[in-house]
Amino acid sequence: MTKKQTRLILYPVMILITLVVVFPFLWMLMLSFKSSGEILSDPLAFPTSLNLENFANALNTLNFPQLYANTFLICAASLIFELAITFLSSFALARLEFPVPKVRTLIYSFLILGLSVSPFILLFPVYKINVFFGLRGKLALVLPYVATSISFNTLLLVGYLKALPPEIDEAAIIDGCNVWDLMLRVTLPMAKPVIATIVIFNVLYIWNEFPFASVMLRDAADYTLSMGTSFFKGTYTVDYGGIVATSVMIIIPELIFYGIFQKNIVDGMTAGAVKG
Amino acid sequence: MHWLSKKRYLVGMTLPSLLVYTVYIILPIGIAVYYSLTKYSGIGKPTFVGFLNYARMLEDKVFWTSLKNTMIMFVLAFALLLTLSFLLALLLNSRLKFADLSKSLIFSPAIIAPIIVGIIWVYILDPNIGVINNLLDAIGASALKQKWIGGEVLSPYSIAVIYFWQQLGYLTTIFIAGLKMIPEDVLEAATIDGTTFPQKVRFVILPMMKTTISTVAVLIITGVFKIFEIVQQTTGGGPNHLSETLVTYSYAQTFDSGNYGYGMSLATFTSLLSLLITAIYSLLTRNKED
Amino acid sequence: MKKALSLGLALSMALGLMAGCAGSPSSSTTSAGTSTSASAEETVITFGIHVANPESQEAVTWQIVQAFNEAYAGKYKVEFQAADTETHTTNMMLQATDGTLPEIFWMDASQAPEYAESGYLLDLSDFLSQNEAVDTALGGMEDAFNNGSMQYGLPYQCNVQGFFYNKDIFDAAQVAYPTEDTTYDEFLTMIEQLKAAGTTPIAIGSKNSAYAMWEFNEFLARYGWEEDIDAYNAGETPFNNEKLVSCFEKVKGLADAGAFPENMATIEYFDAKQLFVDGSAAMFGTGQWDCAAFDESLGDSIGFWWGPKFEDSDAEQEIAMKVPSAPIVVSSKVADDPAVQEAVYAFLAFYYSEDATGISYEGSIFPATNYSGVAASETQYAMNQMIEALASGWAVPEAAPDQTLTPSVQEALYDGLFGVMQGVYTPEQALDNMDAALAY
Repeated sequence: MTKKQTRLILYPVMILITLVVVFPFLWMLMLSFKSSGEILSDPLAFPTSLNLENFANALNTLNFPQLYANTFLICAASLIFELAITFLSSFALARLEFPVPKVRTLIYSFLILGLSVSPFILLFPVYKINVFFGLRGKLALVLPYVATSISFNTLLLVGYLKALPPEIDEAAIIDGCNVWDLMLRVTLPMAKPVIATIVIFNVLYIWNEFPFASVMLRDAADYTLSMGTSFFKGTYTVDYGGIVATSVMIIIPELIFYGIFQKNIVDGMTAGAVKG
Repeated sequence: MHWLSKKRYLVGMTLPSLLVYTVYIILPIGIAVYYSLTKYSGIGKPTFVGFLNYARMLEDKVFWTSLKNTMIMFVLAFALLLTLSFLLALLLNSRLKFADLSKSLIFSPAIIAPIIVGIIWVYILDPNIGVINNLLDAIGASALKQKWIGGEVLSPYSIAVIYFWQQLGYLTTIFIAGLKMIPEDVLEAATIDGTTFPQKVRFVILPMMKTTISTVAVLIITGVFKIFEIVQQTTGGGPNHLSETLVTYSYAQTFDSGNYGYGMSLATFTSLLSLLITAIYSLLTRNKED
Repeated sequence: MKKALSLGLALSMALGLMAGCAGSPSSSTTSAGTSTSASAEETVITFGIHVANPESQEAVTWQIVQAFNEAYAGKYKVEFQAADTETHTTNMMLQATDGTLPEIFWMDASQAPEYAESGYLLDLSDFLSQNEAVDTALGGMEDAFNNGSMQYGLPYQCNVQGFFYNKDIFDAAQVAYPTEDTTYDEFLTMIEQLKAAGTTPIAIGSKNSAYAMWEFNEFLARYGWEEDIDAYNAGETPFNNEKLVSCFEKVKGLADAGAFPENMATIEYFDAKQLFVDGSAAMFGTGQWDCAAFDESLGDSIGFWWGPKFEDSDAEQEIAMKVPSAPIVVSSKVADDPAVQEAVYAFLAFYYSEDATGISYEGSIFPATNYSGVAASETQYAMNQMIEALASGWAVPEAAPDQTLTPSVQEALYDGLFGVMQGVYTPEQALDNMDAALAY
């Protein structure tokens, strides 16, 4: 089989998978232009006209600039904090030498243990811990978000950093690097693909997180985007149009963000970097 | 290796993570485990009852249904996701035109709010108004119509498929990050040697991807045991708890039935099971490496 | 080490920045109409409500609060703490533990007694004795929230529950409308005829909507629930008894006759309501909160019916399901601050006043209070149908049957009813589950 023939097979496969996966997403966009009644009674039909009422309604009900600002702020603070501390600890776990190797395995297993815990278990205790520390409002969300990211970040970072060839460190040390130079100037640039991946996942998690936000935030001025959809589902009423339109509003920045960061997972390690 | 093993660095670097993690994850888990040994409604004072809640699980039919459903989802999602997201990563990592665009699009399900995932998939799977059954009617294959969700049998399988759809792009992204790590010259060398593509995958890529594969495997295992919103939105655990998973059932006990203590014991069991399977997986793959 | 230090510094600065932001007072809020400016003498109290957007989701209460704030501007002010029901319930549990409960809050009827026993709630007997007009207007409806030692809550609203039906569909199928005296067997025939005419007889959905079983409260009541409930809750009589088995068998009979949508497991209460509203279903069990929606879509084609009479039951059949809804309760902390207590009492007095009652009727919501001369207008078709049904003067139960149970037994009742409707449980199994939930 020549390269051209292979491509002829691969293209349809790729296009097909993409279409299947993306279909529900496009459908959501379409639903956002339909009225609540239309969504329920005839979900498959195309919207009869480009109905922007759902968006107008969403914009009237919710203070989007404030929701975006709150979410962005919480997201940025948590992200900076969690990237800093997990990169530090993962670097130590993956690249430094432990006097007793078992301690390394122990700390690593301890840190990724959190992956198997459903966040809702943490709700009550974390609330009480925050009360104990006197943390309220937006600030109360940062530490829980940082903590829930530690297991995931450790799993990815340690795995990735461990796989970097040891020759790099040796070369750096011969060149006279100290530990901070090695970490920030040599290892960090090489970890760009995995850090980009982690940034994407951490941001998406915080952007969409609901349980912690709904429990910790009391003042409407602190609300985050994920709490927006609940404004359209009451005990006896539901406005699917409002929910879908709000969801689209929540997703747009995520799409832009993903588009930008995805480019950073390109190329990864070049041959030159390995040779040091 | 003069400074590589200085204790000062080891302690200083791991301490911040360990501290935050211990206070905000481990301590809460401890509190939850304590509550699992009590009878507690969430209001007032808990009464210590020892392992009574765990004994109750054995007699609780819904618990066994949830366990069965969770295991079905686990087996299905694990097999499908691990293989297909790897293959998809290979495909999208090749230098095909538009691969980047397709990568972004395939990732899109991961960012749709769960409530929308529910609405969308109900319209696909619902036995009456769903696309699938209506399509089957249209092509004259009405005999194939099923209660994809809301019946007594198929719900866990359907939920596994939705989970697959939601996670595919997510895990593919991790695999791609792993693939990007393989040095170009290694791949080039293999190409020059005239190896075929399957050989290249088997002898070059797979061995170099070991960590990435186990990372993804761990994420799938622990992820399946946390599936919550999809169930909540498509079937709500129904009809009558028949499509409940361990997580949704422990949530229902905790918050709907006001059995905080029992809910926490279900949640503790779920976490332990997920840990156990992760441990078994690591042991099995470690043996293979030897 | 220097770098580690500067990193730490940068981090703490970032956090400090956040703290500054979180602490700074902000004047604009997400929901309209609640600005947080407070003058020195104004006492601000919080009302914890079970919807995220009270302005549109609990419009009547929102309007009453606006009217109160206007009437007492500069003196008292009520602000909402609003979250969807599930979050609200969780929040109340958490806020009870750290003493930050709102002054007044909505509470699920099955949970309120436990809050009362744990000392979180204020005894409102004083308030009632100080406000005789309110006591009279409530007319005993508050008794549902008196546990013998204290008045721990007052009814938030009044619920009238039963079957709504679409007269146009009945006419088209040439089926006579149900009457007060329609029996269960006649009801079954009616369902067969409706089904034969190609319509879904009764719209109902079970997904995440187990609470949406209001029409069956009348079934339970007509099998002697009110006389037996104390014995049930004390564990003296099992739920799995002859009376309740025949009651659940009637529910099964409806399911066997094909009364419910085939996809009831995958639709929610909201979807079921949509089936009724757009004319695809002939009947729908709900309460007065849906009146406004029915007026808008079905107009004067709407009818209301309590449900069938059961000839095999010895219990009273002439029962009107007009019951207190969930209670609103007051945090016991309020007693610590006379100014706050004064504001809370003033608000409650206003909430149960004739003015508020008027606002309530305008919004097609039955208030918990009764004042002569306050009633619905002519175009409130659905509500007038209910008022007509109430005119027979039948006995009313102290509380809706589903509201007389502890949370876990209530959940087992909901689960059981829908289990029987969907053929997952036999009536006996469903009732056994209730006994098991009670025993735990």
